[in-house]
Amino acid sequence: MPVVELNLNRIKKLVSGNITKKKIIDVLPFLGLDIESQDGDEIRIEYSPNRPDYSTEFGIAIGLQGLLGIKKGIQKIKINKKGKFSLTVERSIPSRPYVTGIIAKNGKLDDHSIKQLMNMQEDLHLGIGRKRKKSSIGLHDADKLDEIGSFHLNYAVAGRHVSFVPLNGSSELTIDEILKRTDVGKNYGWILEGQRNVPCIGDYGNQIISIPPIINSALTTVTPKTKNLLVEVTGTDKDSVEDALSIVVSTLQMAGFEFEELKITGYKNSTPQLKERTIIYDPKLTSDILGIEMSQSNMVTCLKKCRLDASIRGKKIKCIIPRYRFDIFGEMDLVEEIALGYGIENLEPKLSPSITIGEKNNVTIKTDLITKTAVGLGLLEVLNSSLTSKKILYELTKRNSSEMISVLDSKSQEHTILRDSLLSGLLENLSKNIHEIYPQKLFETGVVFSKGKPIRESINLAVILAHKDTNFSEIKAILQSILRTQFKIDCKTKTSSQSQELFVKGRYADIYVNGKKIGEIGEICNEILDNFRIRTSVVGFEINLSGLIFD
Amino acid sequence: MSQVLHDIEKKIIDSLQKKSDQTPEQLSESTELSIDQIRRGIEWLRLKEFAKVNESSKVTISLGKNGVDSFKNGLPERKLMDLIKDGSKSFEQVRETLSGAGFNAAIANAKKNGWVKIEKTDSGSTISTKEKPAETPEEKLISLIGDKSIPEERIENKLALKFLLQRPDYVIQNTEKLKIVSLTEKAVQIDTTQSDTGAIDVEANAALVYAARTHPLKDTIDEIREIFVKLGFSEIQGTLTQSSFWNFDALFTPQDHPARELQDTFYIENQKSERHATPTQIKQVSKSHSQNWHYDWKLSESQKMVLRTHTTCATIKYLAEQKPDEARIFSLGRVFRNEKVSYKHLVEFNQIEGIVIGNNTTLRDLMGIQKEFYKQLGLTKIKFWPTFFPYTEPSLQTMVYNEKLGKWIELFGMGIFRPEVTKPLGIDKPVLAWGGGIERIAMLKYELDDVREFYNNNLNWLRTV
Repeated sequence: MPVVELNLNRIKKLVSGNITKKKIIDVLPFLGLDIESQDGDEIRIEYSPNRPDYSTEFGIAIGLQGLLGIKKGIQKIKINKKGKFSLTVERSIPSRPYVTGIIAKNGKLDDHSIKQLMNMQEDLHLGIGRKRKKSSIGLHDADKLDEIGSFHLNYAVAGRHVSFVPLNGSSELTIDEILKRTDVGKNYGWILEGQRNVPCIGDYGNQIISIPPIINSALTTVTPKTKNLLVEVTGTDKDSVEDALSIVVSTLQMAGFEFEELKITGYKNSTPQLKERTIIYDPKLTSDILGIEMSQSNMVTCLKKCRLDASIRGKKIKCIIPRYRFDIFGEMDLVEEIALGYGIENLEPKLSPSITIGEKNNVTIKTDLITKTAVGLGLLEVLNSSLTSKKILYELTKRNSSEMISVLDSKSQEHTILRDSLLSGLLENLSKNIHEIYPQKLFETGVVFSKGKPIRESINLAVILAHKDTNFSEIKAILQSILRTQFKIDCKTKTSSQSQELFVKGRYADIYVNGKKIGEIGEICNEILDNFRIRTSVVGFEINLSGLIFD
Repeated sequence: MSQVLHDIEKKIIDSLQKKSDQTPEQLSESTELSIDQIRRGIEWLRLKEFAKVNESSKVTISLGKNGVDSFKNGLPERKLMDLIKDGSKSFEQVRETLSGAGFNAAIANAKKNGWVKIEKTDSGSTISTKEKPAETPEEKLISLIGDKSIPEERIENKLALKFLLQRPDYVIQNTEKLKIVSLTEKAVQIDTTQSDTGAIDVEANAALVYAARTHPLKDTIDEIREIFVKLGFSEIQGTLTQSSFWNFDALFTPQDHPARELQDTFYIENQKSERHATPTQIKQVSKSHSQNWHYDWKLSESQKMVLRTHTTCATIKYLAEQKPDEARIFSLGRVFRNEKVSYKHLVEFNQIEGIVIGNNTTLRDLMGIQKEFYKQLGLTKIKFWPTFFPYTEPSLQTMVYNEKLGKWIELFGMGIFRPEVTKPLGIDKPVLAWGGGIERIAMLKYELDDVREFYNNNLNWLRTV
């Protein structure tokens, strides 16, 4: 879950109205925000990935104003159509065809608010921007462009030899150098891989402003002195770039900016409208889904508390969704908004009697019977991971690894292979407990995997006994007893024709039930015991329960 | 009083009744028991107040390295006198024979005894006999000790002993602890031939044995399963390996969603699922993704095999296949996340998930089931907060107050399946879903702060928890 750091005093000021800090803390969870930690007035908040509008104090303040009843309904955004900046898409750029943007004017920034905007930008890049591939944002000081007379920008491509001074840099670098040497270049260069010419925003005087999605030019660096911003968003999907822009606009509006159009033309691109959507809501859903009776006018109030607009239209409610709430797909999302506006704490849990009778699955019931018998025989249950290591499964036990099933890119070396045997895990358990009192008698039931179409899963039982006097007869007696108790299954042990490195020669067998092989049993050989540093005698068996006591 | 006595105890009492005040070693000899058995027996008898042990210490004196040399060859000052017996010698001559510390000690003691005179000449000092040296008390003492070890109290000339103790490594003082065992009054009366009627010491400690048992985590899993059954839910099973289709696509998780990346999800190497869904299901799910998420949905992505990241894939598959009008279903089992293992994260853990379809399927009903579930677990202080899950809307999480930790803890999540999930699969009724990780609840129950403990299989913990 993404995290944002807030300052309670600043939030309080943004929300305005007569609200205590305690009230703010109390209400935050009901916006779906988890308080991760608090240190005086600084709090860390976890927000849901579907609400990037909560990636700043500004966005959270908009939500708080609604729930606290200070400002209800849609946050009004006015865009002055008479902007002097324009951006032309000069040619079709298949790798990153879409660009959008806006001019934000007359705002006031400081280090803290710049940090908040950076957090928003990072979140949008990671989340809906899919690590900048789908969309990425550039914020520029518009006055710097004004100073050099660059009002008319273009979106085109540049060769990798073209150079400019990148953001936070002190000297000119070629695009190729930026991609190879700078951190951002190394992190995001993959997006431009295989492209001879890379997307670039510039003016008509060959001044580069940005090479999206990598880096801006140092020329337009945003500082606490910046008053007017040029925002550009580029990406691979028209809706996605406008999604990102809408979050930036809503946030900057709350930060005190006004807006002016950035006129955009060319190759399927156009000036963003940031249009609101309408969803017609059926009030019946409120009682059907939430289980509460509520008047339509109350529903309208609840929706407005969630910063949407709503009005009654006969038997329906017309709901207006601001552009930045692209997390709302349809009516069901509005049910949640109504629940939030109503207050989750006001929903009374209700216990309706079940008309169904619950029952356990047959596999669970039968496995439980096996477990009971095993415990009755003095065996202690252990649980091991089904995703384990090559070392335990094959190397230490010298088992055949030709049918090994691996996972890709595990973060842990101990969890890379799906187990095809439980017995190896039990040997590992003995190995970890050589200082504990003997006898040690363990069992495990669990899923094992084998290659099939595409993968077969079955449930196995394995038992292992470790003490100085144990032998084949003792483990065979346990095997027979487990299968005979409850299940009345008679098994036979037959000398195996295959050589098994796990067991002592001449002291292992295949286990058969009704002519079908279900497992193996034997005394574990000394070499394997040495591998596991076990210094006593060990015997064990493993059988397939699937197909034997359940399907 | 009928007293139960161990054979060892009887033998010790017998021996002490014949001869009081014995050391453990003497008892070992007289009873023919090992010294360990005697020590144990004495300890038992002491606890029963049948025996007393008087501890005393005895100091003995023996010769050290220099003492042994002096016993054979005389003290250094005696060696000196032998050297100058036939006339005066220079210091150099003497030093050659009496090397090192022996030289200084010899000169100093011979002078102190008044045996020698020392003259300083231009070519250095010379030394000659002044008086015929008689046997000194120290020499007498060294002869007395010899190669024996004698009790300190037998040494009469304490001054000579003091001098020798001051000189390095001449005599050694050994302090020996002595234990003298005797019987208490009541034990003197015991008739060891009579006390036994087959009775045993019922008060003595017995050896530890450990019960065989089920795994503690399994116990919690079973407890939770029982509660679901009690609430009217029936168990279904699903496989741990799943196609991405059922793990992600059917649950409205877009194919470029971060959760689907290798760094969060375990993909299985070289495995592709072929027939995991019907053509209609695939078509409808594909449509739902393209329309709502604006991208090109790819069949090949949905065929990648993963280790399931939640049990929801089992329940959604069941719903899509059975399309029940009314049902309470649950699925329980292992799920996987490609995370770094730590005290709070495992790559593999247990999850349970229940769904309700049919009548009485409002959010309030779902909250009611939660409340009852927690009540059955003994957790009564709960509240609900809104939250986000990709495939439910509305979504809530339960917060449970933990008295010991003094804070609210997030436990199960819940919600109503999105129409974007259910409609493409032909499910047209609201489906309530709820569930969460089981290890978290088990940790509270067993008061663990490291979740790895459940899978360490440390026998000491498993046997005693």
